[in-house]
Amino acid sequence: MIFKIGVDVGGTFTDFLLMDNEGNSDIFKVLSSPEDPSIAVMNGLNQMAGTKGISLRSFLGKIEIIVHGTTVTTNAVLTGNVSKTGLLTTKGFRDALQMRRGIREELYNNKYLQPAPIVPRHLRLPVLERTDYAGNLITKMDENEVIKAIELFKEQGIEAVAVCFMHSYANNIHERKAEEIVQKMMPDVYLSVSSSVLPQIRFYDRVSTTVLNAAVGPILKGYLSKLTIRLSENGFSGIFLIMQSNGGVTTPEAVTKLAASTLLSGPAAAPIAGIAYADLHGQKSFITVDMGGTSFDAALVKDAQPIVTMDGKVDRMALALPMMEINTIGAGGGSIAWIDEGGLLRMGPKSAGAKPGPVCYGLGGKEPSCSDANLILGYLSSDFFAGGKMKLDKKAAEAAIKNMVAKPLKMNLIEAAYGMYHIMNVNMASAIREISVQRGFDPRDFLLVCGGGAGPIHAAMIALELEISKILIPKESSIFCAAGMLLSDLKHDFVKSFHTPFFYESIQKQLFFSLITDLESKGEKILSNEHIPKEKRRFQFFLDLRYIGQYHEVSVPVGIDDIKALRVEKMGDSFHAEHNRLYGYDLKKEKTVMELVNIRMTAIGTTDKPAFRKEKFAGTDASPALKGKRQVFLPSKMDFAFIDIYDGDKMGYGNKVKGPAIIEQKNTTLFVPSVFEIECDQYGSFMMTIIKDKALTHS
Amino acid sequence: MDNKIDKILASVFQRRFKSITEEMGLTLLRTTRSPILNEARDFVTGLYDHQGRMLEQTEYIPVLAFAIQPACEYITQYFGDDIFEGDVIIHNDVFSGGNQNADVAIFKPIFHEDKLVAWAACKGHQADIGGAVAGGYNPEAREVWQEALRITPVKIYEAGKFRKDVWDMIFANIRYKIVEEDIKAEIGGCIVGERGVKALLERYGISKFRDHVDYLFDVTEKMVRKEIDRIPDGTYPGESYVYYDGIHEGSKMKINLKVVVKGEEIIFDYSGSAPQTQGFVNAPLAATSSAVLLTFLMLINPDIPHNDGIIRPIKIISPKGSFLNAEYPAATTFGNSITGPNADAIMKAFSTILPKRVTAGWNRFLGFTLTGKDPRNERSYVDILFLALKGGSGGTYMADGYDHIGLINCAGGILAQDYEMFEIQDPHFLLKHEYLKDSAGAGQWRGGLGVETIFEIYGENVTGIAFGDGVEEEARAFGLFGGKEGSINNVELRYPDGRIRIAKSKEIIRDIPKNTIFQNIAGGGGGYGDPFLRPAEKVLEDVKNELVSSKSAKKDYGVVIDKITMAVDQEATKSLRGRN
Repeated sequence: MIFKIGVDVGGTFTDFLLMDNEGNSDIFKVLSSPEDPSIAVMNGLNQMAGTKGISLRSFLGKIEIIVHGTTVTTNAVLTGNVSKTGLLTTKGFRDALQMRRGIREELYNNKYLQPAPIVPRHLRLPVLERTDYAGNLITKMDENEVIKAIELFKEQGIEAVAVCFMHSYANNIHERKAEEIVQKMMPDVYLSVSSSVLPQIRFYDRVSTTVLNAAVGPILKGYLSKLTIRLSENGFSGIFLIMQSNGGVTTPEAVTKLAASTLLSGPAAAPIAGIAYADLHGQKSFITVDMGGTSFDAALVKDAQPIVTMDGKVDRMALALPMMEINTIGAGGGSIAWIDEGGLLRMGPKSAGAKPGPVCYGLGGKEPSCSDANLILGYLSSDFFAGGKMKLDKKAAEAAIKNMVAKPLKMNLIEAAYGMYHIMNVNMASAIREISVQRGFDPRDFLLVCGGGAGPIHAAMIALELEISKILIPKESSIFCAAGMLLSDLKHDFVKSFHTPFFYESIQKQLFFSLITDLESKGEKILSNEHIPKEKRRFQFFLDLRYIGQYHEVSVPVGIDDIKALRVEKMGDSFHAEHNRLYGYDLKKEKTVMELVNIRMTAIGTTDKPAFRKEKFAGTDASPALKGKRQVFLPSKMDFAFIDIYDGDKMGYGNKVKGPAIIEQKNTTLFVPSVFEIECDQYGSFMMTIIKDKALTHS
Repeated sequence: MDNKIDKILASVFQRRFKSITEEMGLTLLRTTRSPILNEARDFVTGLYDHQGRMLEQTEYIPVLAFAIQPACEYITQYFGDDIFEGDVIIHNDVFSGGNQNADVAIFKPIFHEDKLVAWAACKGHQADIGGAVAGGYNPEAREVWQEALRITPVKIYEAGKFRKDVWDMIFANIRYKIVEEDIKAEIGGCIVGERGVKALLERYGISKFRDHVDYLFDVTEKMVRKEIDRIPDGTYPGESYVYYDGIHEGSKMKINLKVVVKGEEIIFDYSGSAPQTQGFVNAPLAATSSAVLLTFLMLINPDIPHNDGIIRPIKIISPKGSFLNAEYPAATTFGNSITGPNADAIMKAFSTILPKRVTAGWNRFLGFTLTGKDPRNERSYVDILFLALKGGSGGTYMADGYDHIGLINCAGGILAQDYEMFEIQDPHFLLKHEYLKDSAGAGQWRGGLGVETIFEIYGENVTGIAFGDGVEEEARAFGLFGGKEGSINNVELRYPDGRIRIAKSKEIIRDIPKNTIFQNIAGGGGGYGDPFLRPAEKVLEDVKNELVSSKSAKKDYGVVIDKITMAVDQEATKSLRGRN
């Protein structure tokens, strides 16, 4: 037997998906170990070896591939425990990093503080040098200033150096020279140079990204080398890959050079998992949601292409590397209910988390949370939480909701609990609107793919809010991201700013084509280093275009043939169309001149994906899985009803259940409201579909 | 009525209103062409009920917190029964509810079952609005017509039909084509808002909608009343000045404020403030109301929903003919810029009763707009220089002022231009954009830092328009409770022939030669509390970071720093601080 493993380190749990070469999959969850995340990774591997009845060494020897999603870099930034970093930058502009263009995110809050800069001002050292927007050298670099700065860095015990000069995307000679000097004087320091990290116009975005990359570089490097050593000492000789925030994976060597690409990589695997699961149902456009204990992540995928953003933020600092666009809000099983001063009910964003957790956990939680309401409403069962491993305290949940929600709102317990449930659903539906309606997509055209332990209780009601008619709940929904990691390709993004009016005569062809060739050879090089054979390499080009005078660009995919033949009109048409879709109009008819700002390329190395095992058809009758009935609150009736409870782990391919029903699995619970029916597919996933005639009468 | 109210549904309505106005805002952010809209985000999107009362709003900068409701109320009365589905109304006029000439609003009525139920509206600062000078800021104006084209409420769509005649007449009076595009974007924003509200109406019907809206207003009113009730009753004076009316050297206009708190209600009484000026240093009532509301919101719970209920317990008295409620046909473009001085008066008034919530003075806004021709492409350009105008905010209890935040009207909602894009867009070569040492007022919590901007002008036929305040010694951001003042603003032009021209706070400077070096200092915010109480380590950190000089550390903070070891000289500090 040969195994593949996806490992997703989360705040509370480290999730594992173990798949064998016959398509069998197993889910494992162990407690995370934030002080050293590799401990939890090794614990999980030990546990898996145990269930297979073999030693860790012989188990690791059978593993072909491990794909790992890590939060070490994100946690380092959020907790302020980053490496000691110094910045060399153009004289006159050393405060750009700290200024963040002068934004205060909370307009009316005069106590809202600025985030402490990752590099304090006395370690942001100015160098006399200057290049203009066209790449002309205006002031030659004063190398003595570089040398003096590095001497100070050495004195200060700097572990990472970032270099970012004005307009270095247009000409990086000074950055290269400075890099050489740093390398010579501090051979062991982690170096992050802006023209390598992100050769892209917009100084603040670039300096912030370059500095973030420097500040987490030594941390990621240290963590990965420790983990790889541990793995190989224990007999692992397979392939080890790391998840990036662009939704692709890469080798430890490559990711160490671009450490910032792992920032915000946590939820990035969800759209990738969605692509694989939705594809099994012939669906290419869908919205993934992942609801855990504290947060709710939503992402949109159109035609099997996840939406990519270049506007990422970590702790309010710009991170302009391309990444999956994921909308995260504070909504989870632990979201706490509170009453505002006007007497209206609110949910979250404060969460009881895993500790102390909801009141019903009995671990000291005092404030009523979403899970407490779900228990009162009968969606959760006191006796079958986490497969019965944990008994829930219904009385305590009742008391908390009564005292802290129902009484102040002058409602009864059930009205209050349903109010909590309903507001959670409205909040989550709003988060989905932000990535769909606000981006020019109609959510009704999309399938909802639901992950996360707490998600399937809410999925159907969220879908109703958005008039979405189909919901897919994958078998591995509770460890959705770990599954996505195993399904990811190798992926690397490259960018080069090239500012020119975008019509045939104005483009400097020789320069344009040399940039294209350069991007391609960079892609070839990195994929060949990763041992990806030629036939599995794929390059996708994008042009960032805008109408002249606009400030924001639109990134449009273009064919390699079109770019090489410089079919300006065809590529321009793609831009007009995308602009129209996003903003409701285009200026094609007006013949408004377009401007090219950046050329982007994504190099993809296709990996062998594990195949899901198909089950045999088990008939439509789900009654063998029926395990009882209980009182469950039905929103359509605004009352309780005595409804069927099924054991989801016993349901087989083809089994159908009409709502209202509850389906309980070891790691999650599904609520099927009256207007839905649900069917188990051949992979053990559930597809929930709205029943049309019933939906019409639903209020 | 209460028994008809489903409190959960009320929460749902409120959440949906908010998210609809955010959707409208995003549409504008992405589709508008002018940087003052998509970079500086000087716009607001909102929903209003059939009487024009605010349901919810998303303002990207606070000065627009109350910028639409007065006009929306005016419009519903003005048209009366003459409002139909498919109408689109445009408006900017400051003498019929507008707040600033350049802020042009689009209103779209929302109908359900043939009844007017609500309005969607967007208002944004336009790159030009006609008048004597490009860009809408005319310090030489004496009457409204020299400032702008007055657009009283007029339909550009009538029952779904586009009124090309009206449209063309309006845009024949506006210089730049992009204004047309930006108004189209506002119409787009309103369509998004209409769509969202209609979906709610289809689902819940008119009567539920209206009942719950009324309930929401009441709930919000209750929240504000509770906040006011916590403020001790009494009369609290606060005063402040606007310096220089643009005509008379040394002139200053008094803002005479009396805040009267009585139970759950509050009055902002501006009686006794300076009469309206001959020039453009005047505010329409809507601008004065916005200034009151935004400052008051900073002093209470910032999470209170922004709807009609918020203003019910607040009364503003500002006699007609004063420069805070100027009469027709006054020039008023400076009106929004009186927000800073007005906020100063409000903060001072509350400082005795809400000492832990008020801030020290914010750096006053001094804007400088450059227009000219870009020799690289022969195009004309206008640059409002957002990056140069952002000074520091005032310190407050438990928090230093915010560095490089800019005027209180925007409170950090306005973004400084990115340096590289700045050089690509306009013919300027940046030499420096950094925090200014010793600009922040010293305090236990110091003021926010000011910023120094220097660049070389490469444009041709360049005209500069200075537009603001805070260049006089007296206009420094004030300190509170022992905190010191922030530094002043200054704009200086160094011509290639060596002449130096210091700009007045309000003037047009013509014929600025190519290769002139432009220097703009946006000052720091005022300090809060006795600087001698600031932890010495924090002072040391500022000295190390060259944000405070060791001289100021000693003089203002009583902290002596050993220049060789860069450590606090504890003995010397103790003896220095002990003396006070």
